Amino acid sequence: MLEIKDLKAAIKGKEILKGINLNVNNGEIHAIMGRNGSGKSTLANIIAGRDSYEVTDGNILYNNKSIIDDTPENRALEGIFMSFQYPVIIPGVNNAYFLKAALNAKRKHQGKPELDAVKFLDLIRKKLKIVGMGEKYLHRAVNDGFSGGEKKRNEILQMITLEPNLAILDETDSGLDIDALKIVAEGVNKYRSDDRAIIIITHYQRILRYLEVDHVHVLIDGRIAKSGGEELAETIEEKGYGWLDS
Amino acid sequence: MKFLEKEINKSPLFGLNGSDTIKSLQINAFKEFTRHGFPNRSWEDWKYSDFSLLNNMSFRFGLRKNISTLPNPFPEINNSNRIVFFNGYYQKDLSSISNQISIETIGETYKSNPELIHEIFSPHANPFHNINSAMINTGLTIIVNDNEIINEPIHIINYTSDIDEPIMNHPLFIMKIGNSSEATIIEHYYGSTNIEYWLNAVTKIELLKNSSLNHIRLQEDGNSSYHVADTEYILEKDAKLNAFHYVSGANKYRQNINVNLNDIGASSSINSLCLSKLKQQHDHFITVNHLKEKCISNQLFKYILSDASSGIFNGKVIVKKDAQQTNAKQTTRNLILNDKAVAHSNPQLEIYADDVKCSHGSSTGQLDDNAIFYMRSRGLDFKTAHLLLINGFAKEALKIISEKNINQYVNEQLSYWLENTGVT
Repeated sequence: MLEIKDLKAAIKGKEILKGINLNVNNGEIHAIMGRNGSGKSTLANIIAGRDSYEVTDGNILYNNKSIIDDTPENRALEGIFMSFQYPVIIPGVNNAYFLKAALNAKRKHQGKPELDAVKFLDLIRKKLKIVGMGEKYLHRAVNDGFSGGEKKRNEILQMITLEPNLAILDETDSGLDIDALKIVAEGVNKYRSDDRAIIIITHYQRILRYLEVDHVHVLIDGRIAKSGGEELAETIEEKGYGWLDS
Repeated sequence: MKFLEKEINKSPLFGLNGSDTIKSLQINAFKEFTRHGFPNRSWEDWKYSDFSLLNNMSFRFGLRKNISTLPNPFPEINNSNRIVFFNGYYQKDLSSISNQISIETIGETYKSNPELIHEIFSPHANPFHNINSAMINTGLTIIVNDNEIINEPIHIINYTSDIDEPIMNHPLFIMKIGNSSEATIIEHYYGSTNIEYWLNAVTKIELLKNSSLNHIRLQEDGNSSYHVADTEYILEKDAKLNAFHYVSGANKYRQNINVNLNDIGASSSINSLCLSKLKQQHDHFITVNHLKEKCISNQLFKYILSDASSGIFNGKVIVKKDAQQTNAKQTTRNLILNDKAVAHSNPQLEIYADDVKCSHGSSTGQLDDNAIFYMRSRGLDFKTAHLLLINGFAKEALKIISEKNINQYVNEQLSYWLENTGVT
């Protein structure tokens, strides 16, 4: 599904990613771990299409097509979703309205009929239950006045509503208490299927206890320093990252 | 100035139907104006609004014309309680008003309440107020008697169109909301002509004890016009004002707003949404006087500035010595859509009492790139994301409008404006 080839990227002339290679297949969950500043979030943002980063070399293929020059909205419509590390507040824009507009943009792109208000409400009520959110969150402005945990749940709500093929969760687990973490993990587990893939970017092994991960990669200074199975996350939890420094 | 001198006695309301006392008051007001002339940049309170260019122009009173219908896309905010002026002339056939409300001509008001007219026509600090007193050619008085609840909004339409030469109008509107009464009044200015015209309005609104007024002022004059306004609110004990000022019209616009919280427990909230594009200049100069204790005042002024437009906000809250337990808040927010657009904001507080809660704030910024990316990453295209964000910015100011039809009208005008402002 996703093939990253020798990806190099810079921000304001400073090289952050120094040659990333990664293959993610349908049905897989990958975890990318690493210290602050190792380039994890940069990678996630570049896949989602943020244009403040400059891709200097390499390529990203999604379903065998390069997406390097695609707009963020096109990537989203084609099935890529990033849960933001810091979900953005959009004052004055109603959460339900925003979700409905996003869902209908996607449905339109897929050639499906748009959902009217009644059908949307039916759908969203079911999704709210999965992430343990009340209906009041629909009537507030997007992320406005939400606590840290509520913002992250709102991201997962968007994910399970938009049903992307590739979901990248950028530190969705950080700042969550154990209950919220379980809810997020459950959302991810429910979303998981053979034709979808997930990339989890995280500092900690904690969330990986609730999810069955296929591959773990450790990012150090813009490169993948080590890849392995779930046991790699446990090793890092025990030993930290120092033993991987070259 | 010369053109005004020539026109002064040509107003159909000169002397308010033959009163020599009024005529001399009007001539005095004109003299007061000519002492300093039109304000220019050297006047501290007008430093961003130079009106000396009016010296070189020539406006006349328009000719009477009657219309049988209002054109599209004119708002059907409501059908009853409507008063229509066309190029300054009252349109009897298009107007209708319920008998819960008393309507008087300014001449009639002079007969029933001469002191009020004397006071209004006396020399004033605002030069345009003096011009209005001298040149008054249209307007009316609306009186809501005591203990009346008026459910249907009163819609005053000042429509300017179909003119061949630059015209001017100097309307005076007096509104009085009786003790314990409630009403909604829409003061609406709308123009569709490319010919320059000048509108110079004075509005004096009195809210008696325990009364409540929703005042909606919509300024949608033609893009080549000049609109100057002096709006005064006087609130008595426990009176409650909710005002919304929408501004999208005129090439050059200046409104002075004075709020006098005269007695205990009065509360005033004024929100404004100001949409500026091309070379439009939209200037608000506001003074809120807290004169007695336990009064509340709120102002939220939002400007959306595109192209090479400028938005000016000068707001002063004055808390007098007797006004203990005042609660005052003043906020102005500017959203700049284009590098050439400019915002000048100057919120000020003058406090002479010690037990008060006062705050003010001002911010100017562009659309948040982060928020745009967030929306795009959810599949919304660039333009939709921009429009949603701008709409979201504006919406906060619209919350004050409780009347559904008016809210919808302003929302539609905003969408139309955004569609035609080249947000790309």
